[in-house]
Amino acid sequence: MYPELAKCPRSLLVCEKSNFEHEKSRHDTHVSKHYFNHKVSVVIPECGALSSRLATVINNFSKYFLVKNLPVYEFLDKDFLKNVVWNGALYALSYKTSIDQDNTIALLPSSQLILSVDKDTYEQLGLEGKPSQYNHRQPMRYVVTIDLTDKSMDPEGKRYQRVLSCLKERVPLKSDFLLGRHNSGANGDRALQSLLSRYQWKEHRPVVSSHTLKDLPCPSLHALDLRGDQRSCDPHSFLEWLGAVSAGVSCDNTAASFLSTYICPEPQTLVSQALHCTVSGLLLPEDIYSLLQELRRYFDEPKFTSWLSLTVHGFMDSPVSWGDAEHGFHKGGENFYNLVLFKNQDYWLHMGTGSHDRCPP
Amino acid sequence: MRRADIKDEPATYERLVYKNTSVYHYMRISLVLENENTRLSAAQLKQLIVSGLRDLYGEVGSAFPFDLLKFDARALTGVLRVYNSGLVKLWSALTLLGSYQNERCSFRVTQVSPFLLTLSGNSRELELELD
Amino acid sequence: MAVFMDLNITYTTDKKRLRSVIETAAHLGYSTVAINYVVDLQQKKQEIGKPKCVLELFDTFPIVQGKSRPIKVLNRLTVVASDPSHFRPNAEYKAYDLVAVYPKTEKLFHAACMTFDVDIICVAVTEKQPFFFKRSPVNGAIERGVFFEISYTPAIRDSTMRRYTIANAISLTETCKGKNLIVTSGAERPLELRGPYDIANLGLLFGLSEEDGKAAISTNCRAVHLHGETRKTALGIVHTMKKDQPLTERQEEEHVPASKRAKLETVDS
Repeated sequence: MYPELAKCPRSLLVCEKSNFEHEKSRHDTHVSKHYFNHKVSVVIPECGALSSRLATVINNFSKYFLVKNLPVYEFLDKDFLKNVVWNGALYALSYKTSIDQDNTIALLPSSQLILSVDKDTYEQLGLEGKPSQYNHRQPMRYVVTIDLTDKSMDPEGKRYQRVLSCLKERVPLKSDFLLGRHNSGANGDRALQSLLSRYQWKEHRPVVSSHTLKDLPCPSLHALDLRGDQRSCDPHSFLEWLGAVSAGVSCDNTAASFLSTYICPEPQTLVSQALHCTVSGLLLPEDIYSLLQELRRYFDEPKFTSWLSLTVHGFMDSPVSWGDAEHGFHKGGENFYNLVLFKNQDYWLHMGTGSHDRCPP
Repeated sequence: MRRADIKDEPATYERLVYKNTSVYHYMRISLVLENENTRLSAAQLKQLIVSGLRDLYGEVGSAFPFDLLKFDARALTGVLRVYNSGLVKLWSALTLLGSYQNERCSFRVTQVSPFLLTLSGNSRELELELD
Repeated sequence: MAVFMDLNITYTTDKKRLRSVIETAAHLGYSTVAINYVVDLQQKKQEIGKPKCVLELFDTFPIVQGKSRPIKVLNRLTVVASDPSHFRPNAEYKAYDLVAVYPKTEKLFHAACMTFDVDIICVAVTEKQPFFFKRSPVNGAIERGVFFEISYTPAIRDSTMRRYTIANAISLTETCKGKNLIVTSGAERPLELRGPYDIANLGLLFGLSEEDGKAAISTNCRAVHLHGETRKTALGIVHTMKKDQPLTERQEEEHVPASKRAKLETVDS
C-alpha cells in the first residue's frame, strides 16, 4: 500500500547523564532557558506524602496574571521597560493563541520580544523579521524578534519610535496575556500594577494536586546505565512508564491481553506506595529551579528509593522552546524535559520535542 | 568510558540523541454517540475500532496491534497506543467510523503524541477564569 | 499557517440543526465555516435566491475552542451544472461570500477551470469521477487561484462512497500534486464533522503530504476566502484592490474596508 501511511511525524529525544556537582553540568541553564512552563509533575517512589519542606517550596510558586486584550505596545512603555522589562524575570505569553494558526506573542526574561505572526500581519506591521522555519510551500508565518535591551531601542532613539508606531498605529496587535514575574522590587511592582490597572486582569495561583499511588510496579534505574543496556530500562520505556503513572494507565496486563498489553518495563520492583504531585499554571523557571534544589536535598536523609523524577511540560503554543529556539505545532507541540535525580547527585536529563522544533540544547 | 560496575563514582557526562526512536504514538480519544444513554464496555469499544480498521484496510492492512491503555466507560474517553507505522491507519479509521450498532457516532481525537507523558500536560486545555 | 476552516456546512431549513453543526465546528476548533446552498441548474426553473442572513442564526456566536473569539460564518453558493450555458453569474451570486461549481461533465470542468468566475470546483465524492482530470485545465485552475474541493461526509456515511472519495481524490492529487486543494465536511449533522487535525491526517489517504493535508483545511481555505472577497468586490480594478484584501482575514477589524466593516463587526461581536 501507500508507504506514506506508515510514516509519522518526527520526534526528538535527547538524554543526558551527569552529576549536579560537576563543574560543567548544565542543568541550571536547561531549567532557566525553558521559559514557558505549563505543568510540573514530581514522582517519588516509596513516599506517602509531600514533606513539609517540599510543600513549602511548591506553595511558594509565584502567582501570575491573566490580562485581557493587552496591546503589545504596552510592553514598550518607558516606565514599564525601565522598571520591569530591563530588570529581567518578566515572562509574558499570549493566552489562547495557537502557534499553528494565530498571531502568538512572547516576552522573554532576556527582554526579547517575539512576535510570531501570520503573513498579513507581517506585511502590515513593517517590522523586519524572518520567515518561520516551519513554513510549507510559501511563507505564511514570520517571526519578528526585538531585543528591548538593544541600544537602538532606547526610548529616545529612532528605532524605538518606529517600533512603537508600528505596534500602535500600523497594526495595534493585542491579545490576552499570561504575565509572570519573579523578582519583586517596589518600582517593578508599581509599574506592573500601573499597567494592570488599565486593563481587565486577574491574579492566579498555580494549582497543586497530589495523590499517593499504592502497590505500584516501578522500574529500577541505575544512574550509570542511561541507555538501559542492563540495569535500567531504556529512556523511552521509562518515559512511557512515567506517562502511564501520570495518566492513570494500568500496567497489570500480559502479552495475551485483548485490551492492552502494556506492562511496566524491566527491571522492576513493586513499591508499596509512590507520590505523584503536579503543579500547573504559568510556572517560572526560577521556581522550578528552587523545586529542583529542594528535591536534590531529598536524599540528605536515608530513603528507600534510589531515584525520583521531575517532569516539566512547556506550553505547546509558545513561540520558543529553549532559549530563543523557534517552536512550532504540527500535530502536537510537545516540548518537555524530565530530570531523574539519584542518591549521589547523579542525574539524567531527558528533553523531548515534536516535529516543529530544533534539537534541544 | 567507566565500567558500569563502579558504583560510587559520580556519573560522567554522556549525551544521547534519539531521532524518531519512539516506538509508539499515543492518542487521547473520546467517542460521541447520538444517544447519550448508550453504554459500551472497553472490549466493545476496542472491537468497534478493530472493525473500523478492517472495513477501511482489510484483513491484512488492519492486522497490526494497538492497545486501549485506559478507558472511562462513563465519559467514553480513552487512551490508545499504536506502533508508529500504524498511526495514520488507526487515526484515519477512527475518523471514518460513523456508526456503532446502527447509531451515528464520532470519534473525537483530543491529542496525539509520540510521548505518553505529554498527554497529561496539554497546555491547550488550560482554562483560566477572569471573574 | 492560517486558522482552520470548514468551507462546506450543508444548508438546511432546520435552523436548530444548522446551529448545532456550527456549534460543533467551533468546538472542534474551526475558526470559520461556510453555509453551503446548493442549486442544481440542470433542472429547469431553478432560481438562485439570496442566502439567509448569518446574523439571524445566533444571538451570540459560539466561541472557537481554545480561542477567545467567536466563529465566523460565511455563505457559499454551489451550482451543479453540466452545460456551460447553465452558468450565468448574475447579481445574485454576489450575495454569497464564496461561489462553487460542481461540474458534471468534462466540458464543464474545462470551462470551470479555465474561465468561470468561481472560487471552488467540487470533485465528485458520491460517484465515480465521470471524466479525467487533465493536466491543462487543472493547471489552468491553479494559475487562476481556483481551488478543488473534496468533501468527506459521504465517506463517513457509506463504504461505497468512501471508495469513490478516496479514488477520485487520488486521481486529482496525482494531477494537481497536492496544490490548490481544500478538504471540507459537507456535514448535515454535528456527528458528521471531524476535527481539523483528523482531516489533516485523512489527507494522507487522499495522496496529500502531511503539510499539504494541513494546508487543505487552513492556508488553502484562507486563499479561497480571499479569492471570494476579490471576486465580490471586483469592479474592473481587481489589481489595485488586491493588496487590501488580506485585511479582512485579520483579527484587527479596524482595518477592514469600510464597506465590510459593519457586517464583520456584527458577525464577530
